[in-house]
Amino acid sequence: MSNSLLLSINELKTYFFTSEGIVKAVDEVCLGINKGEVLGLVGESGCGKSTLALSIIRLIRPPGKIVGGEIWFEGEDLLSKSEGEMRKIRGGEISMIFQNPMSSMNPLHTVGSQIAEAIELHQDAQKHELKAMVVDMLHAVGIPDPLRRMEDYPHEYSGGMCQRAMTAMALSCNPKLLIADEPTTNLDVTIQAQILELMKRLRRELGTSVLLIGHNLGVISELCDKVAVMYGGKLVEYSDLTTIFEEAKHPYTQALLESIPRLDIETERLRIIPGTVPRLINPPPGCRFYPRCEYAKSICSKEEPPLTEIGQGHSAACFLYTSKRRTKSPT
Amino acid sequence: MSEPLLEVIDLKKHFPIRGGILLRQVAAIHAVDGVSFDVKQGETLGLVGESGCGKTTLARTTLRLIKTDAGEVRYMGRDLLKLSKKEMRKVRLEMAMIFQDPYSSLNPRMTLADIISEPIDIHGLAKGAEKKRRIIELVKRVGLAPFHMYRYPHEFSGGQKQRIGIARALAGNPKLLVADEPVSSLDVSVRAQILNLLKDLQEELGLTYLYISHDLSTVKHMSDRVGVMYVGKLVELAPAKEIYNNPQHPYTEALISAIPIPGRGASEKRIILKGSVPTPIDPPPGCRFNPRCPYSKPICAKEDPEFIEVKDGHFVACHLKK
Repeated sequence: MSNSLLLSINELKTYFFTSEGIVKAVDEVCLGINKGEVLGLVGESGCGKSTLALSIIRLIRPPGKIVGGEIWFEGEDLLSKSEGEMRKIRGGEISMIFQNPMSSMNPLHTVGSQIAEAIELHQDAQKHELKAMVVDMLHAVGIPDPLRRMEDYPHEYSGGMCQRAMTAMALSCNPKLLIADEPTTNLDVTIQAQILELMKRLRRELGTSVLLIGHNLGVISELCDKVAVMYGGKLVEYSDLTTIFEEAKHPYTQALLESIPRLDIETERLRIIPGTVPRLINPPPGCRFYPRCEYAKSICSKEEPPLTEIGQGHSAACFLYTSKRRTKSPT
Repeated sequence: MSEPLLEVIDLKKHFPIRGGILLRQVAAIHAVDGVSFDVKQGETLGLVGESGCGKTTLARTTLRLIKTDAGEVRYMGRDLLKLSKKEMRKVRLEMAMIFQDPYSSLNPRMTLADIISEPIDIHGLAKGAEKKRRIIELVKRVGLAPFHMYRYPHEFSGGQKQRIGIARALAGNPKLLVADEPVSSLDVSVRAQILNLLKDLQEELGLTYLYISHDLSTVKHMSDRVGVMYVGKLVELAPAKEIYNNPQHPYTEALISAIPIPGRGASEKRIILKGSVPTPIDPPPGCRFNPRCPYSKPICAKEDPEFIEVKDGHFVACHLKK
């Protein structure tokens, strides 16, 4: 796997300006994805993971706004691109699979014509080649009898098939980065297994970089090389897959891992994270996890812990691991 | 094991599909199609299955919330389906349900105190100061505080709403609690709170649970015995550990292997089933799993396999296990 950086997010801030106050959905997040790498972005609902994904392809709508930071993709700053330039990138070099496949397809057009549209927009394909390309894509994602099924409308597809068709559409222009936002959340487990298998195969064959967003840690561990954990709009921990599961350092990651019932381990009682996921409107100063954290110290309520490297390629944002506070003095 | 609290014998529920000008019945959805099981006093029976397999219909028919077409539901020896409305109302006090969606199962115009006192009023269980004392006790029992009593559902978080749902279910001092996907709409970090609460309540109050979910990991965590449903039928029933370590039905085997385990990395031995769950509309004869089954034999397409005991307390419906 090459180590060159494909996407780099630097101190990204995406805020929503609502009548109740400013929602800091993504707050100073730094993240990178290498070429050919699958990065898992884990977090509970409302932690800002989908907002982060939408920020990358600049699909944030008012009252939301990207208020700061940089997003570099292949050496170009995406935030300085015009809307026209972005439109070429979306669906071309960066494509996205959305959470609900049924509602992200147009019910008035056949599945085949929707995929053809995506190809037509981004590639110089002749009209007569289009059909063959669509059939190839549907075949690649395992839709049986693609020549006939491409004439079907989305409602004639099952949930799993719709998800496959969405994947086919997203991959039809050979994107360099695929963003998959909870691609299996609404599917049954046996169908989820089919989609996971498909994504693994596509990854082997095409070598696409993937940003996989999800809250199911099982799914994440099936596909990812690296894992980033978000909580309350902040990145709290980042490392490779094994380290996250075996040596998680941030109290939130640790608690999250122990609070889920597992098939392979017998537990009488689950670990509890007290309280609920915080609202992101005008968050208090300090660490966002501190009200629920069992190791909270007095400093945690006052200052925000910086994301610090605590091991080889392993960083966490927690005062338990930062001996010295971040100082402003230049070194 | 102790006596069964609830026995379900060959229960069937078909929903008619009407069509044509005369709205004649043209087909039927076989939502629950001949299911038998029992729930013993003090145990948790888990029911798993994918969407549309009839789990929720089974729960509702068991509590007689919807009419059944055939079969028996015996609660402490009495057939519930033969009771009069008045008698049923009394029995219903002893059985309560926790619903999947705490957002839509609470009346937005009622305060927490109103919600919990409704079952107490309907059954005439307590009045005045006694009622208030009881409500406070229930509120505390599910981990909420008395100052929450005059708040409305929208003021609570998802986890707290589910706690209210549990308090309401406990108001009539039930013996049997039917929990239909009680945690699937909650955040991961809040799920553990509710699961632990359910376990504590079971221990303190000696409750019996029928726990329904599509999530095998939670079902295994909660249950003593687990039943697996597929398109309206129970295909396997066994003690929880046994079913996970030694699944006998090919569907159970595939279902368990399909679950990704956190931290284990990519699994290689996964059984990938072809196709998707068939519709329960006029299902074909034979085993309903046979079109997707990797071990399917000719007999599977013709005859419905019997639900037989292959080992102590381990039942399976599969032609291969005869």
